[in-house]
Amino acid sequence: MRTLAILLLLGGLCLARLAAAHHSFAAVFDGEKAVKVTGEIVSVEWTNPHFHFSVDVKDSAGAVQRWRFEGYPPNMLVRQGWKRDETLMAGATVTVEGWAARDDSKLGAVRWVTFTDGRKLAGGPPAGTGGR
Amino acid sequence: MLPRIVLASAVAVVVLSSAPLAAQPSAERAAPRTAAGKPDMSGIWVATGAIMLFEGEEAFAAARAADAAAGRPPGNSNEAPPYKPEAEAQRQYFLSRRGIDDPMAQCLLTGIPRINFRPLPFEIVQLPDRVIMLYEIHHAFRIIPTDGRGPPEDAEPSYLGESVAHWDGDTLVVDVTSFNTQTWLSGVGTIHTEDLKVTERYTRDSFDTIRYEATMEDPAVLTRPWTIRETFRLRPNERIREYECIESNEDLVRFQQLLEEGATEKTP
Repeated sequence: MRTLAILLLLGGLCLARLAAAHHSFAAVFDGEKAVKVTGEIVSVEWTNPHFHFSVDVKDSAGAVQRWRFEGYPPNMLVRQGWKRDETLMAGATVTVEGWAARDDSKLGAVRWVTFTDGRKLAGGPPAGTGGR
Repeated sequence: MLPRIVLASAVAVVVLSSAPLAAQPSAERAAPRTAAGKPDMSGIWVATGAIMLFEGEEAFAAARAADAAAGRPPGNSNEAPPYKPEAEAQRQYFLSRRGIDDPMAQCLLTGIPRINFRPLPFEIVQLPDRVIMLYEIHHAFRIIPTDGRGPPEDAEPSYLGESVAHWDGDTLVVDVTSFNTQTWLSGVGTIHTEDLKVTERYTRDSFDTIRYEATMEDPAVLTRPWTIRETFRLRPNERIREYECIESNEDLVRFQQLLEEGATEKTP
């Protein structure tokens, strides 16, 4: 099922004070703009201080939107059970949960990635406010 | 000199390798001690606030509950720093810009005590005459003399400052001075001057925990000393990995765009 599924959950979100390893989440992303999309992985960049991946998401009319997500650096991905050459590869279908950028571009901060076999791995930290 | 280093390293290896490495959720095992009788802080640690990332929300809640049961003060207080009005106004300005000015976002070294709260582990190697702290974030390190010497006379202002330590009973007390002003203390906009003095207290109160307390004194901006606390938790199966912050830091470009668009002037 590759239909576009974007859920904007306003309110009720528990905003943790933890920031990502190096930057202020709130400068770019909106912790109140939860996003959940399902689509096909286009590319993966296994880089510091964040890894990135792009995912093509089709809506019910067949139009494709390309989302780009950023998440943990490799040192934290490995701790969450990720392997660079196995876990997330181009062509895979995944469901991504996270938060959208404030500017409404198709940029997101990933929290969870769910794979077709049911595995669900943390891809990034909880939404933060730049906290401590 | 070389034999002394080799000997010290060998002692460290023996101390480290003799410690049981199995994860123990109970915090009631006694802290190990060195041959000299001091508590041994050696090990890989992470702030309790980061347990949520490493093990999930349930483990994080359990850790906080264990701290409460053991009488450890709650960490990561939301208490606002006791700033003088002008400094508080500056902090509010930085908050209104949602942390875009955070030096850490430029991959600059995170200062003291903030670096201890980052959600990445750090290793303490305790030797007879110094304590070495190795941080995963920024590849940062601190070499902290414990042989009674004072701070170096040729110190220049720096991100991590200059640390010297002494023992107060079973507590390692680290005095840190000679800071530059390019770091935040703990949280967005927590500025300070070069006169900042931080006193850290490390108490390994069980095998699995270090009680940590940092008191910041900076009369130019603070109305009184500001103390924050946290519990560090042993990560026996962890190792310090590489984290090269600057490699692909897209925030540098994004933040410049935000500044040009004026997008940061909105309130959070």
